[in-house]
Amino acid sequence: MSSERLSGHFSVDDSARRIRNYRYAEERLTRVLGGWIALTPELPAKLLFGRHVWDCAQHADAWGRRLPELRAPAQQSEPANDAMVAFMRLLETPEGPRQTLERIAGVYGVLKPHLVTLYARHLASANPVYEPPTRRILARCLEEERRHAAAGAIVLGRLGAEASARERVTDWQRRLSDALEKAGGVTGDATAPLVDRALLGVAPESVAPDLVQTPPDFDPAALPADLAAAVDAHREALEAADGSGVTPWVAPDAYAVVDAAFAPLAGITSTRVVGLAAIGRQQMVKLRVESARAGGLVQLRWAPTPSGWRIVAAELVSTEPVSVAP
Amino acid sequence: MDRPIAYDKLAREDRFVRMRARDVAELKVEQGLPPFPDLASRESIRERVHGIMVGELQAMEGAGRTVYDFPDAPWEFTMDMARQVWDESRHVETYLGLLEHLGGRVGEFPESTILWRCACAEDAAARVAGVNRGLEGLACDVFNQLIHIAQKIGDPILEKSVDYVLADEITHVRMGSRWLNELTRGDAERRRRAIEFQETIDERFNLGGTRQDGHHDVVPISIAKEARKLAGFTDEEIERLVKSTQRSQVY
Repeated sequence: MSSERLSGHFSVDDSARRIRNYRYAEERLTRVLGGWIALTPELPAKLLFGRHVWDCAQHADAWGRRLPELRAPAQQSEPANDAMVAFMRLLETPEGPRQTLERIAGVYGVLKPHLVTLYARHLASANPVYEPPTRRILARCLEEERRHAAAGAIVLGRLGAEASARERVTDWQRRLSDALEKAGGVTGDATAPLVDRALLGVAPESVAPDLVQTPPDFDPAALPADLAAAVDAHREALEAADGSGVTPWVAPDAYAVVDAAFAPLAGITSTRVVGLAAIGRQQMVKLRVESARAGGLVQLRWAPTPSGWRIVAAELVSTEPVSVAP
Repeated sequence: MDRPIAYDKLAREDRFVRMRARDVAELKVEQGLPPFPDLASRESIRERVHGIMVGELQAMEGAGRTVYDFPDAPWEFTMDMARQVWDESRHVETYLGLLEHLGGRVGEFPESTILWRCACAEDAAARVAGVNRGLEGLACDVFNQLIHIAQKIGDPILEKSVDYVLADEITHVRMGSRWLNELTRGDAERRRRAIEFQETIDERFNLGGTRQDGHHDVVPISIAKEARKLAGFTDEEIERLVKSTQRSQVY
């Protein structure tokens, strides 16, 4: 064996430190993705996070188990520096229901591609004679993080196809990349570029099977024809501010509750049916309502009566001012 | 992110209609219908499957929150909860597929958030007792019944898919039993509170007398004694559950 084969880049202690840094990132990812699932409305993103929590936990676990083999305590995470902690805090901040794009963009467009870059570089330099235990973990994490990044890119592309959305994503990724750079990457000593796009070579179609096939968007054609006619007539009257056109569709003992549900949305400019749920023979129709000052969701319970479908109950589910910052 | 988050922060696409389970049940009774799907027709099976799909979604969300909410819990606990998140995500996918198989659609029936609320307990021990032992125990009963119905109506897709989900649920109950013991070791008061929480959930999910001891063909939801034993419930616990169903209020 040539002595060349025994040359190495990292001491045992260096290697343990890097592994604690990796574990910090993977553990934080596990927790953040887990916490975000409930806060994310869109099914494709919710299920993307749900799929990857366990992979990240296994990465953190594999790193944590490797540590005692390097004379270090098991299962310990260590951020490289305070700037890395600040980066992770920033990454976690988008938790509003309208910030799904930022959540995906941060994890799948910045941190995971950075981990791919770090793992690939480490793997390329880890000694094949005395570091195979680390190399095996690197190879696994590298492959899975690559696939995660590719899967995230697909979901991001689906949810953020509009120009304004792409702009938001770019801005957010720039902020995060700056913070990551300040930290020197996950290990505190990573050299530029922190994300090497050439290492992210996974064909999107090959990761498509990793993604949960989510159902198509709600189709208003789901409404039975007679109910659809009643709902449309009621909506048109609402949009025309035609009180006498609205009243016939409301059961007399529901006037007050229906008025109260729509009151915060006065001056309606548009309505759209976004959901339909059956309760026996009655149907709950969910409307997205826009007015000059506010938007909101209203659930109307329609019941079949001898004179046709009538609204028998209403509930304002949520309202928000028209220009809501994400 | 807050730890834990408020109940009403549970995020959904607009297509979901959220209602209280009690309100839905009462509206059905007013129409002369059973309060919960009785599995007597394909539509009723579809409604049950929709309810389970939503339940799996909330179970995934709940387990995800547990991963986030308890950073100081033992690492192995986090690992089990992370594994559960993945399992629940597959269950969601399974039930989305079954819903399509049965000709249904997401949002076709109202969603209630009782399950999610149970998953928001502030103590990790109460959460695993309530969710993993109480709710996943209920899942064992419901899925066992569904497998039986699938066999009866000759639907191998429904039968096989649900059977795999049931296997996972048994694993989740075991996790719950393990962590209830480990998290409350040396703290009898914490253990008592956690078990009390589980019993409240068991009581609530007797669904007004819908869950009972008896054969699948005779009762709406039969207590899956064998599956529960496999999952680590003791004979005494099963007996206590049976007794609690006998004093449950009926709608």
